[in-house]
Amino acid sequence: MSNKRILAFFVAILSIFFGNVSATLSGNNILRMATTTSTDNTGLLDFLAPEFKEDAGIELQWVAVGTGKALELGKNCDVDVLLVHAPSAEKKYVAKGYGVDRTEIMYNDFVIIGPKDDPARIKGKSPVEALKIIAEKKALFVSRGDNSGTHKKELSLWKEAGLTNIDKAEWYIQTGQGMIATINVAAERGGYTLTDRGTYIKYEYSMKGNPPLVVLVEGDKRLYNLYSVIAVSPTRCPEARYEFAKRFIRWISSPRVQRKIGDYEILGKRLFVPLKAR
Amino acid sequence: MDLAYRLEGVRHCYGNKTVLCIDEQAIELNRIVGIVGHNGSGKSTLLRLLALLEHPTRGKVHYFAESKEPMFEIALLPQEPYLLRRSVFSNVSYGLEIRGCGKNEIRQRVYDALSWVGLDPEGFACRRWYALSGGEAQRVALAARLVLRPRVLLLDEPTTSVDAESGRKIREAILKARNEWGTTVIVSSHDRQWLFDVCDTIIHLFRGRVVGSGVENIVFGPWRKLEGDLWIKIFPDGQKFLCPGVPGCNAVGLIDPSDMHMFPEATGSKYKRRACCIHGTVSGLSMVRSTGDIIATVYAGGEPFSAKVSGCVEQFTPGRRVILLAYPDKIRWMS
Amino acid sequence: MNYILEGLRQAVMLLVKWDPETYAAIRATLTVTSYSMCASLLLGIPAGFALGYFDFRGKRVLRTMVDTCLAFPTVLIGLLVYAFLSRRGPLGSLNLLFSLSAIAIGQTILALPIIMSLTATAVESLDRRLRLTLLSLGARGHKLLFTTLWEARHALLIAAITAYGRVLTEVGISMMVGGNIKWHTRTITTAIALETGKGNFGLGIALGIVLMLIALIVNLSVMSLRKKS
Repeated sequence: MSNKRILAFFVAILSIFFGNVSATLSGNNILRMATTTSTDNTGLLDFLAPEFKEDAGIELQWVAVGTGKALELGKNCDVDVLLVHAPSAEKKYVAKGYGVDRTEIMYNDFVIIGPKDDPARIKGKSPVEALKIIAEKKALFVSRGDNSGTHKKELSLWKEAGLTNIDKAEWYIQTGQGMIATINVAAERGGYTLTDRGTYIKYEYSMKGNPPLVVLVEGDKRLYNLYSVIAVSPTRCPEARYEFAKRFIRWISSPRVQRKIGDYEILGKRLFVPLKAR
Repeated sequence: MDLAYRLEGVRHCYGNKTVLCIDEQAIELNRIVGIVGHNGSGKSTLLRLLALLEHPTRGKVHYFAESKEPMFEIALLPQEPYLLRRSVFSNVSYGLEIRGCGKNEIRQRVYDALSWVGLDPEGFACRRWYALSGGEAQRVALAARLVLRPRVLLLDEPTTSVDAESGRKIREAILKARNEWGTTVIVSSHDRQWLFDVCDTIIHLFRGRVVGSGVENIVFGPWRKLEGDLWIKIFPDGQKFLCPGVPGCNAVGLIDPSDMHMFPEATGSKYKRRACCIHGTVSGLSMVRSTGDIIATVYAGGEPFSAKVSGCVEQFTPGRRVILLAYPDKIRWMS
Repeated sequence: MNYILEGLRQAVMLLVKWDPETYAAIRATLTVTSYSMCASLLLGIPAGFALGYFDFRGKRVLRTMVDTCLAFPTVLIGLLVYAFLSRRGPLGSLNLLFSLSAIAIGQTILALPIIMSLTATAVESLDRRLRLTLLSLGARGHKLLFTTLWEARHALLIAAITAYGRVLTEVGISMMVGGNIKWHTRTITTAIALETGKGNFGLGIALGIVLMLIALIVNLSVMSLRKKS
């Protein structure tokens, strides 16, 4: 190979590389969102993003991570808007000035699931009572243990039940993984776990309607899973696209979109209850 | 006569060890110069300096270049040449490609070079590097240098570990290069006979120093003092070499071949028990091209010696037992 | 076993039915690994050559450092690249986070020590007579470099294949700095992680099979290249 040809080869490669970089930079009509894995798994955003693009001409791109990391991405100005479900952490976040315009838009709920034969007999109890019984009987409980919204909810319930030192208890295991992985561990080991309903519906479906784990505790107000959107603070992050974020928050809170959220189903079951449908 | 090289006050060291120490040496153009010496005498180092691949630690190696690219005028064939992992053709053409020759010219010259070293171009050009014998590989490596038609060709031990046929072809190719293009050839070897055959002049290196321009015999220590001024060295085969006036235990003696007298064993019984005397077997006769002298190579005490043949040559045909005798006052001592 | 058969079936379906999401992930994977391989080969081969060929002060320390970097966890690389590319980070103004370029940068950092270390080893294990031979034929500078590398071509191919295997299969960097954004930065590996997280084990295995197919095709083409020279 002659020197000229080698040089041409290098130049071609470099131009492809930088061509791609500039293409990324030129993508301007993009709203970047950080959300939680469980939200992404419901498919709601896949359903909403094309609608938003049509209505506002803005492309919604989202990164699905744990709640803790989603908030961290917002702190570092790497995203423009957050869709999360950890109210107390969110309030602290806004109070510290990282986010603005926090708007609660919808909720779904958590359920406590466990083996069909329910060895600890918690069926129909309130969530706090159920946890107390599990601890008392030393029945196996599987926790996410990943600081996610679900994990935070679980910890707040334990706290309410007056059980704080369970971290090292041998009947309490932490997977540090996603919801489905955690449900699978619970199923394999015959334990109890707390899950969001959306993931459970999918799990139930994948088991062809005959899952080893069933819903035992549900319907309590404490189990509500409140979702809100937060814009990343424009004063802290001048680079963030605050205008787009504001438009998104207005759009998703509008009655028309809210009704759509209420009608959204997976596998024939409704998942979310909108807060501003009227 | 024009010079190709002049060396001035050259000292070359690897670490703390001085391997080459040449105060003054000139090499003339269009000559075939031999470098002879034991292993570790600095032959390869000298050739690398002459190839301008290394610079002496101190002193200067002047090369009187013809063009602006002196590097392209000199070609070195290292002691163990390495073939590139490609075809024989590409191995030979590599240097020409670097020098920017055209394709047709390269092809013609590669084919010529292969035939000079006695390899059939049609059969060998496409061979892979691993499908060659040791002698063939050596000849391909030589062809890769000859093809450059260098002004100076440096060959480091080209005949080590090759068969007799290859040795002959290499000799022919060297002579051809000198005769056709006036190439200055500098060739090192420990095969004295082969060198006498090929070279116009010979540089004798010993421990990094030039000890003569011929083929001096070297007698190493260790010496043991017997009585008074008389010293003894015992050769590997048990022969005792008595010598007066040795300057020290590790002294090294140099004896010019013309000062080394040789007698058939049968007639030389009177020399038995004399000092500076050793028995050996003639292994070969050769003519020094430069002087026309006939030199016999004699293996005595397990080491090679050279002695000038005077008188009747038939007495000293290879295989004959002879006695070598040196005069103590003709021995030059180095320490 | 059920999952594996199911995965095989789905893999065929995904490819045959021209599933757009799968092909987007394949495209992202191929694009990003091509960038990172080009960059790491362009940087790593000369650097590895220098490391293996020249003697200099601190060479052994440097070599040890490079070899240690072979154990760089992808998640840590992801975190470091994130720290630099975040809008709050020193390179935030480039706006590269959550793009294929960001993944390519991280993967280059992943592949670079592999290429450097294996190139250095390849150059070191070349015959020591090679250098003298090339110099004696008049080779200098880049000619010397290219011929030396060409002599080590088989070992370099192995280095490239090893690095490609690592780059193709990593998930930590793609997830962290790519963000697994659908249609944009979702690579096959992050898609596998996502589908597994969603409980679609069959789909996860299917995507894994697709990934292995890509690896197979790349290795086959490299092998044919090797035979030719």
